[in-house]
Amino acid sequence: MGPLYPQELLNPEYNLLIGALIGIGFGFLLEASGFTNTRKLAGIFYGYDATVIKVFFTAALTGLIGLFILHNMGWIDITLTFYPKTFWIPTLIGGIIMALGFVIGGFCPGTSLSAAVTGKVDAMAFIGGVLLGIFGFIFTYDGLWQSLRTSGKMGKVNIAQWIGIKEGLFIFLFTIIAIVTFVVFQKWQDSWKRKMDDSDIDDLGL
Amino acid sequence: MKRREFLIMALLLLGGIIAIFMSDIKPLKHIIGPKQLLHEVNKKGRYISTDEVAKMIMEKDPTLLLIDVRSPEEYKKYTLDGAINIPAEKIMDDSNKDYFDSDVYTVVLFSNGSSLADQSWLRLRSYDYKGNKVMKGGLNEWYRTILNPQKPAGDAMSGKMEKQFLFRKGAQVYFTGATPVAGGAKKAKPAPTGKPIVKRKKKEVTGGCG
Repeated sequence: MGPLYPQELLNPEYNLLIGALIGIGFGFLLEASGFTNTRKLAGIFYGYDATVIKVFFTAALTGLIGLFILHNMGWIDITLTFYPKTFWIPTLIGGIIMALGFVIGGFCPGTSLSAAVTGKVDAMAFIGGVLLGIFGFIFTYDGLWQSLRTSGKMGKVNIAQWIGIKEGLFIFLFTIIAIVTFVVFQKWQDSWKRKMDDSDIDDLGL
Repeated sequence: MKRREFLIMALLLLGGIIAIFMSDIKPLKHIIGPKQLLHEVNKKGRYISTDEVAKMIMEKDPTLLLIDVRSPEEYKKYTLDGAINIPAEKIMDDSNKDYFDSDVYTVVLFSNGSSLADQSWLRLRSYDYKGNKVMKGGLNEWYRTILNPQKPAGDAMSGKMEKQFLFRKGAQVYFTGATPVAGGAKKAKPAPTGKPIVKRKKKEVTGGCG
C-alpha cells in the first residue's frame, strides 16, 4: 500500500500539504515538551536532564519497530522510502560538529525554528549561524569538501545485514540498549539533582 | 522513574520482542508501483526461449516448473511435458501462490502465443513475485522451433545456426518420438561426404591456435 507519494498514489500538492501539517504538529509538540528551552536541551550534556535522549531514542525506536512491522505486514514497502547511502567519515565528522553546535548553541536545527517562532532571540541567532554554515559549505564545496564528502563510501547499508544478524534481533538488541541508556541517564539525572540547590534548579527554568 | 516512562519502556520492549518473532515470518508481498512495473515490463529478462525450455526438459532439470496458463480444455488437448495447468484468471488464487513464491523453482509460464502468459507474468510481478519467466512465443513458437524445426534458408549457415538447428532436430526426435524424417534423413546422408570438410575446418582452427 504505502508509501503513497513514491507510488504516485498522492498528488504532489497534497504531499506538501500533509508535510506542512505534520511539520506544524511536530513544532507544536516540540514547544509543548519544552524542547525550545536551551537549558533543557543542553541538559543531556551536563547530566541534569535526560529528556532529550529519552525522546530521541523513543522516536527512533517507534519508527524502527513501526516500519518493520508495517513492512512485514505488506502495508509499507520500505525499499521505496528515502534510504540514503552511507559515507561514514563525513557522517562521523558531521555528527561531531552537530553535537558541538548542540552543546554550544543549545538547539538542534528543528528546535531552533520552533524556539525562534516563540520569539527567542538566541534561537534566531542560532538560525543565522545555521544559514551561514549552509551557504559557507555550498560556496566552498568544490574546493574544500568534495573529497571529504565522498570518502568512506559504504553504499546503502543496513546495520543488521552489515553485522550479519536478523533485523528483528537487531531491533530487540537496540531496544535493550535504549532501555539501559534510559535507566543510566535517569540515575545520573537524579544524583545530579540531589546535589543541586532548589534555587539552582529554578534558575534553569525547566 | 515515573510510571508513564516505565509504560513506554515496556511497550518498546514488547515491540522489540514482536520484531524478533516477525523476523522468521516471510514478509507479505507488496504491490509494485506503476513506475517500477513499467520499467520491468520494458526489460526483456523475463523471457526464456523455447530452446532453453526444451533443453531443461530434456535434461530433466528438477528446478523447472512449467505452468500452462491456458484454459483446461486447451490444456487437455496438448501441453508440454510435466506442465501443470493454472488458467490465467486463477493465477492469483491463494491456493496457487506457493508455486510462484518458491526460491527453488524456475517457473516458466506459457500460453499459445506470448500475450496471455505475459499478462499472467504482469499480474504476478505487480504483487512482487520475482523470478518467473515467460516462454517467448508460447506453444506456437514451440511448434515452429522444436516440433517442426526448419533448416534455415540459404547455404551459408553460420556455425551457431547450424548448432541450433542440430539441437532442434535432436529435440524434435526427443519430443515427437519420431525417427529423423525422410527429408531430414535424405539430407543427412550426404553427411559422410561432408565429414572431411568438417575435419579440415577443425584442423585449420587448431593450427590457428597453435
